[in-house]
Amino acid sequence: MIKIENLHASINGKEILKGLNLVVNAGEVHAIMGPNGAGKSTLASVLAGREDYEVTAGSVDFDGTDLLELSTEDRAREGLFLAFQYPVEIPGVSNVNFLRTALNEIREYRGQESISAKDFMSMVREKSAIVELDSKLASRAVNEGFSGGEKKRNEIFQMAMLEPKLAVLDETDSGLDIDALRIVANGVNTLKSDKNATIVITHYQRLLDYIVPDFVHVLYNGRIVMTGTKDLALELEEKGYDWIKDSIEA
Amino acid sequence: MENSNKLSQFSQRFAPTEIDALLPMGDDARAFIAENDFPTTKVERFKYTRLTKLANAVFEAQKQEVNLEKRHEQICPDSIAIYVVDGEVILPETSLPSGLAIDFISSAQNVPNSSIKDVFAALNTLHAQSGVRIKVANNCIIEPVIELVHVVNSSYAGFTRNHLSVGENAQAKFVLTYVSKHSNTGFSHVHTSIEVAKHAHVQVEKVQMESAENFSFSDEEVWQDADSVFQINTLTLDGHLVRNDLHIQVLGEHSETHLNGLYMLNGQQHVANYTTVDHQVANCQSNELYKGIMDDKSVSVFNGKVFVRQDAQKTNAFQSNANVLISEDASVNSKPELEIYADDVKCSHGSTTGQLDDEALFYLRARGISEKGATQLLLTAFMSDVLEKISVPAVKEKVFEVINERFNWDLSL
Repeated sequence: MIKIENLHASINGKEILKGLNLVVNAGEVHAIMGPNGAGKSTLASVLAGREDYEVTAGSVDFDGTDLLELSTEDRAREGLFLAFQYPVEIPGVSNVNFLRTALNEIREYRGQESISAKDFMSMVREKSAIVELDSKLASRAVNEGFSGGEKKRNEIFQMAMLEPKLAVLDETDSGLDIDALRIVANGVNTLKSDKNATIVITHYQRLLDYIVPDFVHVLYNGRIVMTGTKDLALELEEKGYDWIKDSIEA
Repeated sequence: MENSNKLSQFSQRFAPTEIDALLPMGDDARAFIAENDFPTTKVERFKYTRLTKLANAVFEAQKQEVNLEKRHEQICPDSIAIYVVDGEVILPETSLPSGLAIDFISSAQNVPNSSIKDVFAALNTLHAQSGVRIKVANNCIIEPVIELVHVVNSSYAGFTRNHLSVGENAQAKFVLTYVSKHSNTGFSHVHTSIEVAKHAHVQVEKVQMESAENFSFSDEEVWQDADSVFQINTLTLDGHLVRNDLHIQVLGEHSETHLNGLYMLNGQQHVANYTTVDHQVANCQSNELYKGIMDDKSVSVFNGKVFVRQDAQKTNAFQSNANVLISEDASVNSKPELEIYADDVKCSHGSTTGQLDDEALFYLRARGISEKGATQLLLTAFMSDVLEKISVPAVKEKVFEVINERFNWDLSL
């Protein structure tokens, strides 16, 4: 699905990713954990094509396509989805108008016909139920006045609508109470199939009780320094990150 | 003694007015012209607008034959349309609904004097060539839109004077359309006075789309009596140098005034909106919202003034101007002003100018929407509260059509 090799990226001349390698196959869930400042959100931003970051070395192959050559919108059209850590409020743009525009631009890119208004609305009803999002929120302005939990549920709702090949969830658990966390995780699990894959970026192990990863990676100082199963997450929760730092620097 | 300043020379290029009702005001206007020159940018009201190009502009004064068959310029197909083509008034041939009278301004017994004391008001008083007088009788509701279509057909330069009066308990919708058919330099100044009687409801959609070579100046002077509602939307979609002076005097209690504006500029366009709302009596409210989208090297000026006089207690007056710059070379000059002499009022004003939110653009693009599509979504959202105020569907469609032609943006609400 995605093969990241020796990825180096910097912002304002400061190198954050320092030779990151990661392979994710279809049907897999990978968790990326790490202390603050390790480069977790930078990885998400670089994959989505945020222009503030400069990729200085390395390659990213996304299902046979050179991801780094694509614009942000073309990455989304190829099937990459980033669930934002801080979803943006966009006053005046309705959720449904925004999603219909997105869906139709993606379909046009893939040589498919536009979705009819009727099919679109029934899709909205079906997908918003997955994350228990009130259908009234779907017709409101994008994220405007949404609670923290509603914003994150809206991210997963959009993911359900756009049906990506690879979803990158950037700290989706931050700021969520346990009910919202359960709903969001349940949404992600419902959307899981053997044809798509998920990268869950998180600081805490908590989310991984609900979204069970096949692999857990530890990102530290711009590189993946340790890979294990879900037990590694539990070990990190218990021992903290200092243990990793010490073992790397030793 | 021959006065040799630029303003006098400019004035001498135009024939004296033959509108009887304007003659009594001629002496004051002549005195104003004699004592003043074209205002420079040192004069506050013209600080951002250079008139040198207008003062020196050459207009081919010869008039083209007006082709009566080719009246396709109106925005509303079903409107009662009055054409003013290069200053020549063409009245509608169809029969009018009862209570509506439309005539040449020259047949009016009297026309209210303009209280706007500037160069263009004086020039208009001396040189207005023609115009329309529209009268809606008391207690009449005029269903069809009344559209006043100003066409600059050739390199016309001239002054037009219109007077609209809407009687007590009456209702009417007006569309003031400004178009030009020629790419040579033209100049038009249109002064429109509007009397809104007690309990009257008046809606005005002013749509400006003269060519990028035209100097388009217009004043509206409005008098509102008690319990009346007046709304004007000033929609500037094209033009080289466009200046709007809107002057509203609120003279009767419990009146409502709404003034909204939208300007979408590119190239080297210059658009200036000067507005005054003068609250002279108690218990009235006014809402003002002007929004602008500026591309290329365009320049906009917004100067909104709200007076709340000593007797105008319990006034609610709100004013806002917001601008989005989509080019680094565009510029905005915004000056909202409040002058309050009463002590029991609610007033606010504000002005914002900025670029589109980069985070919002990135968010939309990260969902597969092109940069252009994302820009359109955000700009439509920005304009939506003004667009929602447009009460005539054909006007809204026209706005979308012109935006599509000029900016290649496919907008819809």
